[in-house]
Amino acid sequence: MLLVAFSACKDQWLERTPQSIITETQVWNDPNMIVGLLANYYERLPTDMGLDGNWRNMADYDDAMWSGYSGEDGRNNLTNYATSRWQLWDYGLIRDINLALESIDKYSTTLNTAQKAQFSAELRFIRAYEYFELVKREGGVPLVLKQLIYDYSGDATALRIPRSKESEIYDFIGTEMDAIKDVIGNTGSTTRANKYTTLALKSRAMLYAGSLAKYNNLLPAPITTTGNEVGIPASMATGYYTKALAAAQEIINSGVYQLYKGTPDKGQNFYDAVCKKGTTNKEVIMVRDFLSAKAKRHSFSYDNIARSIREDNLGSSCVTPSLNFVESFENLDGTAGTLKTRTADNSDYIYYTNLSDIFNNKDARLAGTVIFPGSSFKGLNVEIQAGVMVWNSATSSYTTNTSSVLGSAFTDGKLLTGASGPHASIQEVTNTGFYIKKFIDQGAGTSTRGILSDTWWVRYRLGEIYLNAAEAAFELGQITVALPLINALRERAGFPANSLDASTLTLSRLRNERRVELAFEDHRIWDLKRWRIGHVIWTGNTTNPDNMMYALYPYRIIRPGDATRDGKYVFVKLVAPRFRAPRFFQMNNYYSTIPQSAIDNNPLIIKNPFQ
Amino acid sequence: MLAGCKYDNYEEPQSTLSGTINYQGQAVGVRSNAVQLELWQGGYQLYTKIPVYVQQDGTFKAILFDGDYKLTYLKGVGPWVTKTDTIAVSVKGNTVKDFPIEPFFLIKTSSFVKNGTNIVGTLTLQRVNTTQSLEAVRIYLNKGTIADSNINLANFSIAGSAIPDPNATITISVAIPSTLSANDYLYARVGVKTTGVTELAYGAPQKVALK
Repeated sequence: MLLVAFSACKDQWLERTPQSIITETQVWNDPNMIVGLLANYYERLPTDMGLDGNWRNMADYDDAMWSGYSGEDGRNNLTNYATSRWQLWDYGLIRDINLALESIDKYSTTLNTAQKAQFSAELRFIRAYEYFELVKREGGVPLVLKQLIYDYSGDATALRIPRSKESEIYDFIGTEMDAIKDVIGNTGSTTRANKYTTLALKSRAMLYAGSLAKYNNLLPAPITTTGNEVGIPASMATGYYTKALAAAQEIINSGVYQLYKGTPDKGQNFYDAVCKKGTTNKEVIMVRDFLSAKAKRHSFSYDNIARSIREDNLGSSCVTPSLNFVESFENLDGTAGTLKTRTADNSDYIYYTNLSDIFNNKDARLAGTVIFPGSSFKGLNVEIQAGVMVWNSATSSYTTNTSSVLGSAFTDGKLLTGASGPHASIQEVTNTGFYIKKFIDQGAGTSTRGILSDTWWVRYRLGEIYLNAAEAAFELGQITVALPLINALRERAGFPANSLDASTLTLSRLRNERRVELAFEDHRIWDLKRWRIGHVIWTGNTTNPDNMMYALYPYRIIRPGDATRDGKYVFVKLVAPRFRAPRFFQMNNYYSTIPQSAIDNNPLIIKNPFQ
Repeated sequence: MLAGCKYDNYEEPQSTLSGTINYQGQAVGVRSNAVQLELWQGGYQLYTKIPVYVQQDGTFKAILFDGDYKLTYLKGVGPWVTKTDTIAVSVKGNTVKDFPIEPFFLIKTSSFVKNGTNIVGTLTLQRVNTTQSLEAVRIYLNKGTIADSNINLANFSIAGSAIPDPNATITISVAIPSTLSANDYLYARVGVKTTGVTELAYGAPQKVALK
């Protein structure tokens, strides 16, 4: 007879705690887990460009073009922007936040009232931020503020929420910020929302709504839908501008933040205002931070650092600023920033002793944003020279010589083509003659794939708040309020005090300040949209200089016997050789299409104009 | 020997729907790659539009299955009044169906000559819908037959305010660009822009001999 020994069942084998499932009750009673959830929701907020993810979009507009790996050269050949390019319909995130707000109330027993209020406020901040990103791209969207649960009855009509009006979404954002700003806490944090972050979001959202109300209705044919899902009435402009100004001024007057001015060299100072991490930087209000020590890093420096100072054997030079952008920086005497390359009668080049001389006396934000010929980065000279021009006295003209070997020497033993280009066709070398500096890491080794970079992405900083306030004040006719703000930003950039007065601060100048201050920080495309000038500036015409990306190629002059010219540098402006299709923004780009699946599921969804 | 497996056992469509966008029988010239119509067919679960692309001479063609369709405007795209009109069309074999529209301004006649280093265009306009004013008359030059506001090597614009009588004959001239001056010929085309309407209405492109 077989003796079969039964071992007793392990105690509570069927009642083990799962190691991979976390219950609602566990989450909502543990502040650390809630912070973990918040981190996930912050990360899901979309941008149109950044330091990772869709960073390449920086090369798709008119501040920069693509000079990197040739597989992405489509960005230099965008015949138009797809009507779905900025499409966003992330109700998954909205639902997650609505569920979180309901669960905090339902499940949390150990959190006290203040903690619950603080977490709820922060969740509402992220939700309103997401609605701002939605309304920017799609116009009015369904405003869903609680879970929608299907009862499987076969009738889904209760789940069909129609689109709100465009103004209603902006109003929602404004009232949410008002409701949460005094309970949200997180004082002093730059990565989690605090009172001033709510004011920053409010100032930007209200400014956008005001400009949409004003400029959409100034179009010959305003873009609207019958129910104003798209289209804010012109009468609402003043109200929105007033709110934008008030929110911005509350931040400015609080004294909590200051324009960064800690570095003596004004160009380096502007770079530091955006990129310098740590508590000495009191300009940033909210950032998306990275930390190498915790393996949260990005490859923005590897991808975009100047070619000759790259520390890896691949990469570099992808997003390269255009001459168009460089020339938008004014001269310090207030004159327009067009670079002087030819004599007034166009009979000859202008000869510069040093490469960087052509950039002297310019808005210091240029030096903080762009690496130009003759400048250095990380203490290293960035060698930018297209080639040499040899004078031929028989023909009284120059013969141009360039090389496909970067850093090579000419027959006279001196530099022919710079180690950082520019070059007309080699990939991963600038095609425009410029490199980006903003957001490039100054730390050693940070442009290698091994070390990577942890520069932060700035969501809100005081510089933008000054611009928001100035624009709102200007549109409200309060130019005396706008002037000191714009002049403060200019003074930080090296201009004399009070460089502009009521007669010289025009709307186009104000808008240009925004362009040069906030370049590559994900503002330009949204500004062009809300001012309704996208289709005016980018007309898809090769003969329009605003539509084509231009380059500036420096050449060393070889002209023995002529001491005023030999050994000096001249500059040639040209359409960047790799740039093909002129930028073309059409009326159907102001609002993106709504996904067909959303329309199929909910027949109440009105399509956007031109969809 | 067996032929290879055919995974797609659905026959491709063979019938053609073609036509011209016209006003009273005269075709309307448009910008290439810009203008579309919408084609809808009800009765199926997938209810989304079929875009019908219009060539620069105003003609369009779509290859479809036989059936009953509705042809309609893509709102706001085209130099005409956007209406909610739908044209029912029954496609069976090769079907021809014109799409009549109501334009604002049209190019009625246009001709071009070379005059020294310029190309001079002579044109007359026709005004139909009077709710919008004349914004500009433009001339475009290009190496090939496609010439419009986005594809051109030279262009010139006369503002509507500088045209006292839109019904009279208008002359517009543009200098021949250096990229074309060495060629044997070029193409010229005129367009008329209505205020508040994004697209221009064009005439036919015409070859102009340079030598």
